[in-house]
Amino acid sequence: MKQYDLLIVDDEKRFADMLAKRLMLRGCNCEVCYSGQEALNRIKHRNFSLILLDLHLPDIYGTEVLIRIKEIDARAPVIILTGHGTQKDRQECLQQGAYAFMHKPLGIDNLMSVLAQIEEMSV
Amino acid sequence: MIDRFRSVFRAIHPKFYRQKHKHLDHYFTFTNYRKIWAIGIFGLGAAALLPLLVITMIHYQLIQTSVDSELILRTERVASNARRAVTFFLEERLNALSFTVNEIGYEQLTNSDHLAEILRNLKLGFGGLTDLSVIAHTGIQVAYAGPFKLEGKNYSGQIWFAECQKHNLYVSEIFRGYRDLPHIIIAVKSFRPDGTFFILRATLETQRLIQTLSAYQTGEHADIFLTNHTGIMQTVSKHYGGIFEKMTLPVPNFSSRTQAVMTTDAQGHSIIMGYAYIYTQVADTPFILMVIKQKAGMMRVWQELRSNINWFVGFSMVVIAIVIIITCTFMVNKLYLADKSKAETMALMEQANQLASIGQLAAGVAHEINNPLALINETAGYVRDLFVIKEQYQKDEELLENIDSILEAVERCGRITRQLLGFARKFDVKIQKVNLSEVISDVLIFHGKEAEYRNIKVHVDVPENMPEIETDRGKLQQILLNLVNNAFQAMADGCRLNIDVASSGPDQISIAISDNGCGMPEENLSKIFDPFFTTKERGQGTGLGLTITYSLIKKLYGSLTVESKEGLGTVFIINLPISIQEKIIAHENSFGG
Repeated sequence: MKQYDLLIVDDEKRFADMLAKRLMLRGCNCEVCYSGQEALNRIKHRNFSLILLDLHLPDIYGTEVLIRIKEIDARAPVIILTGHGTQKDRQECLQQGAYAFMHKPLGIDNLMSVLAQIEEMSV
Repeated sequence: MIDRFRSVFRAIHPKFYRQKHKHLDHYFTFTNYRKIWAIGIFGLGAAALLPLLVITMIHYQLIQTSVDSELILRTERVASNARRAVTFFLEERLNALSFTVNEIGYEQLTNSDHLAEILRNLKLGFGGLTDLSVIAHTGIQVAYAGPFKLEGKNYSGQIWFAECQKHNLYVSEIFRGYRDLPHIIIAVKSFRPDGTFFILRATLETQRLIQTLSAYQTGEHADIFLTNHTGIMQTVSKHYGGIFEKMTLPVPNFSSRTQAVMTTDAQGHSIIMGYAYIYTQVADTPFILMVIKQKAGMMRVWQELRSNINWFVGFSMVVIAIVIIITCTFMVNKLYLADKSKAETMALMEQANQLASIGQLAAGVAHEINNPLALINETAGYVRDLFVIKEQYQKDEELLENIDSILEAVERCGRITRQLLGFARKFDVKIQKVNLSEVISDVLIFHGKEAEYRNIKVHVDVPENMPEIETDRGKLQQILLNLVNNAFQAMADGCRLNIDVASSGPDQISIAISDNGCGMPEENLSKIFDPFFTTKERGQGTGLGLTITYSLIKKLYGSLTVESKEGLGTVFIINLPISIQEKIIAHENSFGG
């Protein structure tokens, strides 16, 4: 299996850590950050094969983070993973180039299959 | 025949009389429409008919009074004229006798030839005189001219002799006398030169008097006759007794002038009784002149007119009553229908408000629960991952099963929160032209495999000329998907699903989704749109599917009805406007913007 580089952006620290651990068990390389600004800083310095982005971040709202990510790297695949998403958020995010808009709680297998899809597309 | 009667009855029987709607009762402005109806009819009826009745009665009263006074006046006039004639008749003869007695001396009068001569002359002048006699102060008849031999007869013991001696002049009642013919005696007293008196007496036939009277008897309802002061009939009456019989009417009280009064006779007939006590200038008489008119006969013309008026008034009242009843029924029915539609709207609004508040609450709960749920999910998932990796736990199926059930529970919770959010979500309706057969076949694609596998026949009927409708395609799709899903779940293998599209009005279409699956018991039908109502096993359904479907259809300005028979199947009928745009505009206008 190919080594994925994932960035998990979520202010729920325990959730983010736990998800990172599970993904790492599935052979992914995960980084975790808890704020929008931190995420943007990391994306500036390296490429990720997938960014999992929460909307309700303490500093910058998720859609804004998404816009800025796309400014840095327009091709970076971003999946919005939120527990609070509204239809408006969903439309906006998909317009701004998010790959998918997913609701918490999320089955890990679903996430893995999305990862596989992204991989297929990039090949 | 009975059916026909029933259908007529149903047509005129107002709606508010037969409608029962317990669940809407407290939304109605008025509760008792029958009472309003009855009060309306009674009030209007009273206001319209009472004045008519009162006016008619007053009119009757007025006419009655004026007719009565006219009748009295006429009777009085007849009585007065007849009295004058009778008085004149008697006076004339009395005066003639007075003249004779004064002009011709006692000696000449007692000469029989001379007396016969005088009788002849008087007969020529007045007629009706039968005989003439002279009675001396002793009461002995001293001279007689006439058809009988009455000389020498003694009258001294007779009442008339005493009366005439007292009053100088005398008019007798009518009596039969020796000849058994009705006649009247008139007598005049005079004095001889020696100071003794004598009486000149004449006998009058009543024939001429009766002729004089009957000249005043006008019309068949009039009766004119003479009676004496004690009520013994002096001439023949049509109705009130023969001659010399007792009059069947009461004797009227004395009056010096002619009178007419309203009274009733012995038979109970209403009569007008005119009467006059007859007295001449020179002497009283025992007569009372009676003029009786039968009121019924006199009133006949007026009675006919009254009967016509009665018919007219009766007919008018019936027409007015019918118009009032029809108007009241129509108005109250309109009021009832307006009130009912208001009540229905309010019930719907309350339901919608309830749904909206449930939605808001649900959305809040869902938001708050999602994050901890995600954490549980990941933590449990991680524990599972660890177990799967560590060899010592790999074989422990019980552990894994427990973890899996946690994960399953979390997934179920997630499904519920997602549906709750979907239910609460308010988003704009996106209008586009939609081809119904396309949408339906899109929806059926999802079930193609299942239908094939379960041998379910799906039949779609969309008329060729069905126009495209303007609505939100996504929502319509979701609605159809939900209903088709439901149908598939209700059907056993080998059943049949029909989707029929039809035009249900000038600007409406209907989509009927019918299955011959298990159907629903009646008590569930009223609850199926309630949130969280489900008949599926615990954990299999959220109870929100039909609630969401219902609210989506409402968003598209449509309606959803359901009919179901347990064991026979279910039909869901969606009614949708052909153009949702017009509905939105109308809706906005009705809310002022």
